[in-house]
Amino acid sequence: MTNPSNPSNPSRTRDTALSAPARVPTELTTSVPGGVGSSPHRPDAALKVRGEFAFASDLWHEDMVWGVTLRSPHPHALIRSIDITDALTVPGVRAVLTHTDVPGTNRYGLERPDQPVLAEDVVRYQGEPVALVAADHPETARRAMRRIAVDYQVLDPVVDAEAVVAGAAPLLHPGGNIVRHQPIRRGDPDATAPVVVRGTYRVGMQDQAFLGPESGLAVPAPDGGVDLYVATQWLHVDQRQVAIALGLPVDRVRLTLSGVGGAFGGREDLSMQVHACLLALYTGRPVKMVYNRQESFYGHVHRHPATLRYEHGADRDGRLVYVRAEIFLDGGAYASSTPAVVANAATLGVGPYEVPNVAVDCWGVYTNNPPCGAMRGFGAVQAAFAYESQMDRLAEAVGVGPVEIRLRNAMRRGSTLPTGQVVDSAAPVAELLRRVAAKPLPPPVDPAEVDLRQLPGGVANTTHGEGVVRGVGYGVGIKNICFSEGFDDFSTARVRVEAVGGEVAATVHTAACEVGQGLVTVLQQIVRTELGVRRVSVLPMDTSIGDAGSTSASRQTYMTGGAVRAASHAVRDRLLAMAAAELGATATDLVLAGGAVLSTRDGAAVDLAALLGADAVERTAEWRHRATEAVDPVTGQGNAHVQYGFAAHRAVVDVDTELGLVRVVELACAQDVGRAMNPQAVLGQIQGGSAQGLGLAVMEEIQISAGRIRNPSFTDYLIPTVLDMPPMRIDVLELADEHAPYGLRGVGEPPTISSTPAIVAAIRAATGLALTRVPVRPEHITGT
Amino acid sequence: MNPFEYRRATDVAEAVAAVAERPDAVFLGGGTNLVDHLKLGVTRPGRLVDITRLPLDRVEPLPGGGVRVGANVRNSDLAAEPVIRSRYPVLAQALLSGASGQLRNLATTGGNLLQRTRCVYFQDITTPCNKRMPGSGCAALDGYTRHHAVLGASPQCVAVHPSDMAVALAALDAVVRTHGPAGQRAIPLVEFHRLPGAQPERDTVLDHGELITAVDLPAVPATRRSAYRKVRDRASYAFALVSVAAEVELRDGEISQARIAFGGLAHKPWRAQRAEQVLRGAPATAATFQRAAEAELVGAQPLADNAFKVPLARNTLVSVLTELTELTGATEPTQEDTP
Ligand SMILES: Cc1cc2nc3c(=O)[nH]c(=O)nc-3n(C[C@H](O)[C@H](O)[C@H](O)COP(=O)(O)OP(=O)(O)OC[C@H]3O[C@@H](n4cnc5c(N)ncnc54)[C@H](O)[C@@H]3O)c2cc1C
Ligand code: SF4
Repeated sequence: MTNPSNPSNPSRTRDTALSAPARVPTELTTSVPGGVGSSPHRPDAALKVRGEFAFASDLWHEDMVWGVTLRSPHPHALIRSIDITDALTVPGVRAVLTHTDVPGTNRYGLERPDQPVLAEDVVRYQGEPVALVAADHPETARRAMRRIAVDYQVLDPVVDAEAVVAGAAPLLHPGGNIVRHQPIRRGDPDATAPVVVRGTYRVGMQDQAFLGPESGLAVPAPDGGVDLYVATQWLHVDQRQVAIALGLPVDRVRLTLSGVGGAFGGREDLSMQVHACLLALYTGRPVKMVYNRQESFYGHVHRHPATLRYEHGADRDGRLVYVRAEIFLDGGAYASSTPAVVANAATLGVGPYEVPNVAVDCWGVYTNNPPCGAMRGFGAVQAAFAYESQMDRLAEAVGVGPVEIRLRNAMRRGSTLPTGQVVDSAAPVAELLRRVAAKPLPPPVDPAEVDLRQLPGGVANTTHGEGVVRGVGYGVGIKNICFSEGFDDFSTARVRVEAVGGEVAATVHTAACEVGQGLVTVLQQIVRTELGVRRVSVLPMDTSIGDAGSTSASRQTYMTGGAVRAASHAVRDRLLAMAAAELGATATDLVLAGGAVLSTRDGAAVDLAALLGADAVERTAEWRHRATEAVDPVTGQGNAHVQYGFAAHRAVVDVDTELGLVRVVELACAQDVGRAMNPQAVLGQIQGGSAQGLGLAVMEEIQISAGRIRNPSFTDYLIPTVLDMPPMRIDVLELADEHAPYGLRGVGEPPTISSTPAIVAAIRAATGLALTRVPVRPEHITGT
Repeated sequence: MNPFEYRRATDVAEAVAAVAERPDAVFLGGGTNLVDHLKLGVTRPGRLVDITRLPLDRVEPLPGGGVRVGANVRNSDLAAEPVIRSRYPVLAQALLSGASGQLRNLATTGGNLLQRTRCVYFQDITTPCNKRMPGSGCAALDGYTRHHAVLGASPQCVAVHPSDMAVALAALDAVVRTHGPAGQRAIPLVEFHRLPGAQPERDTVLDHGELITAVDLPAVPATRRSAYRKVRDRASYAFALVSVAAEVELRDGEISQARIAFGGLAHKPWRAQRAEQVLRGAPATAATFQRAAEAELVGAQPLADNAFKVPLARNTLVSVLTELTELTGATEPTQEDTP
């Protein structure tokens, strides 16, 4: 981003942030550098740029053998028989396993155990694991795998989610094909309004497109258990599921996080975890599994494709009277996190607006499409494309601008959601919109100075400015932060302080997964701030400590940050008590600062290293956010969520209307983050999230036909490149949430939600087209 | 990957013999296409004959003003060659619009011409495909056809040829020079690639063991203008939905000469002779360009998901011709800033 007028420079953004009204009162006891609110260097940054970072796919053990997975070529089939005899004869093969070799329960699942570790008598999606091979060399394993004879009886795949809801599909699971139906009923179901707009919207299947494929190394242990080194998002949920499948007590399955190359939700479900452990236990050798790119597309869940039918009723000024909606989410072959995705789409289905009368029905169903589950912003992303498109239609019907219609309906602190829950912290929806709307617009294309890279089609030479129309569009979104609906959401952290070589040093231990978002750095910052200790090391994340919950739902800085702060406070209390005894003072007169304990009364000081001597102070804390509750299954009423995140985008696009090509010229974003714990990481999340939303708007889609993925490669599944991503103007607001540690608000998901509708609105503004489906493709614009 | 024998050839005759003597032997160029296919199991050769050390890596002038491009000249080098940039901008632009910088550094002229279709069913070895496995059927026909052909397809295969470079070469009337077990040949590029017909497994007219040694570009008059345009789903690093290579000469507001080729529409670079006929001798107006496009595309037979390609091809042709006939000079290619 070399554009000198590009203001996405951290210092300016911070200034904007600091001018925000309600900043959290700081309780910083220290001035050691690198604390909360600064942006210290990340330990992984230089390694990643230089290509030296060790990812899970780099794991190596001298004695290891390689595991591969035989997958179903059919989206739906009965398995009549599996014959492994031929595969076993290949020299170098160590084991060939099928479902009969699964020692524990052959079922797993994030929310429901409905998925077999290895298929039994039926396969429900293309790519479902059927058998495993371990061999001395990965090629040997693959060759042996091709010699496994599976006799399939191919069945018609169920591929239409709406037809499933209508009851017109054969049963795929014993309990029925509806994974969850969640209605939301608020106010008058028969409300009427003078202005009514309707629309049906569709969202294609997006992929997380992380660069590091699924990989891990399972090492059999002398106690009959197994140690698994793996790239994942949630160590303990993996551990529990692996133990059940292996029939082992939980403490015999130990996991350690390995280098994660991106996650975005796609690593929340198991992939190779049980498989590698099974092979390790059978062969008695360390087993490495690494998916290739194509296999990775079959090896993880995707974003639910959706059909959304909406009706908005408003008064003549555009104030919403009612919203009615039916949302159909295709969950694919297994449940994964579909129930939670349904909850989000339903409870957040009207967006960040005040609506007195709401009737939403949301269904998540089984089909024979690839399983869908967690992906950044889940549920909220699909709904936002529909409700924001509707808000633009409403604006047009009423005759006001897109910003004005949103301002007239914007939710605020104190607003009531369709679930009946009152929003009890900042909800600056109007402020965010005003900020992006007030930013200067980028200059129009200057025909005299055409830089092809700035035009639709880029350097493909498709246009030199002729036939190009500019459009501007807006989007705003809402996302629940942390786990909702009564889930016992907690994290665990251990903090230890000791003197090392005469200098005081702290160590942090959690099971919270660093997936590239910068959690390690934030945890260090928290300890520096709380204990005034400069040297903070973060131990490898593993299951030898308590659960930290998932790195998802924008929750990890909130939850594990909260746990580390709590553990730090416990350590601090102990240190102050020790110093009080040493100094003959009362602990309440003492503070920690710069590696020493100081008396606020008489300035007396004791150096921490001296105070500790050969001892260490170590405390473990388990930390919870305030409780939520399940929503009523019939009315959808209930205090389901802990916190909300909001972001707004303004998109400026140039569209080549002849060829249907879009260039996003600029994205402006304003987001409230409560507290910018690490301002640079916040900007990174906003830029990355916005890019992922851009991808969904104009190019990213897993093409499915008859249940089969047609583009399982990065040649055919397109994600934005640096040439597609425009400069951003970003405002970060810090309106403290008094319920959250440091007042912070989860950052990762909101920018993904609002960038997609803003970009599509801008394309509509340029072309006058309805554009009811994302991704928008050239043929949608040229009208063919 | 299956085990295979690897040989590095040091002269042309040896390379040809090493492939000709074994039905499962293939030439290896930059490997950017072939190695992917080895990994995917699309092809399982028993012998690879590496030809990248053969002395076929020069761009040389030909008597009469043409240019000879050796088969091993890398795509990046060819696009950067001053004579190509100045006299054959359509070719430089086509090369730079293809793949990415890293791939172009490896990809060879010969390999680019012989790269195989990106039809997803061709690459997915679990589905039937007449091109990969003759007689097995065509999975695309009742599959997802957004990227497939609208011209010249057969009931056996509806795949498109993916090369950008070949489209420019088709418009340039280039000639492919080969050296095979039966001697040397010169094949006009427009006759080099085949339509699928009943034998979609054959992409070109080459015989087994026939090595491409060079591509000859005929001389171009100084008055000729040319350009390549490619329409794709993102700003870089994606195959063409539709592309157009066009060369025109103007005399007194009339088009005296036109050579047009489409990419992304057919099993081969599609030389648009019907469009050329309409253009020749006609005034350089929007109406002429429309008529030319329609004359060519009237025979298009879209599949379930690719009807958009027809108007897209028309609009692309009209806009490239408009630009070529309005501009005073040939456009210089832009160096792509590939991430
Ligand atoms: C991600 C990706 C994106 C791409 N995008 C584009 C794009 O946008 N546009 C585009 O045009 N291309 C694109 N390509 C394709 C790329 O241009 C080709 O892979 C490349 O040109 C092939 O050249 P090579 O030398 O590597 O061929 P190889 O892979 O070495 O060979 C290809 C075939 O040609 C044969 N062969 C090679 N040389 C000779 C010879 N001299 N005589 C006879 N036979 C020979 C080989 O046996 C093999 O069958 C892309 C490729 C990738 C991987
Ligand atoms: S279109 Fe051609 S390449 Fe594609 S599946 Fe059919 S036969 Fe194979």
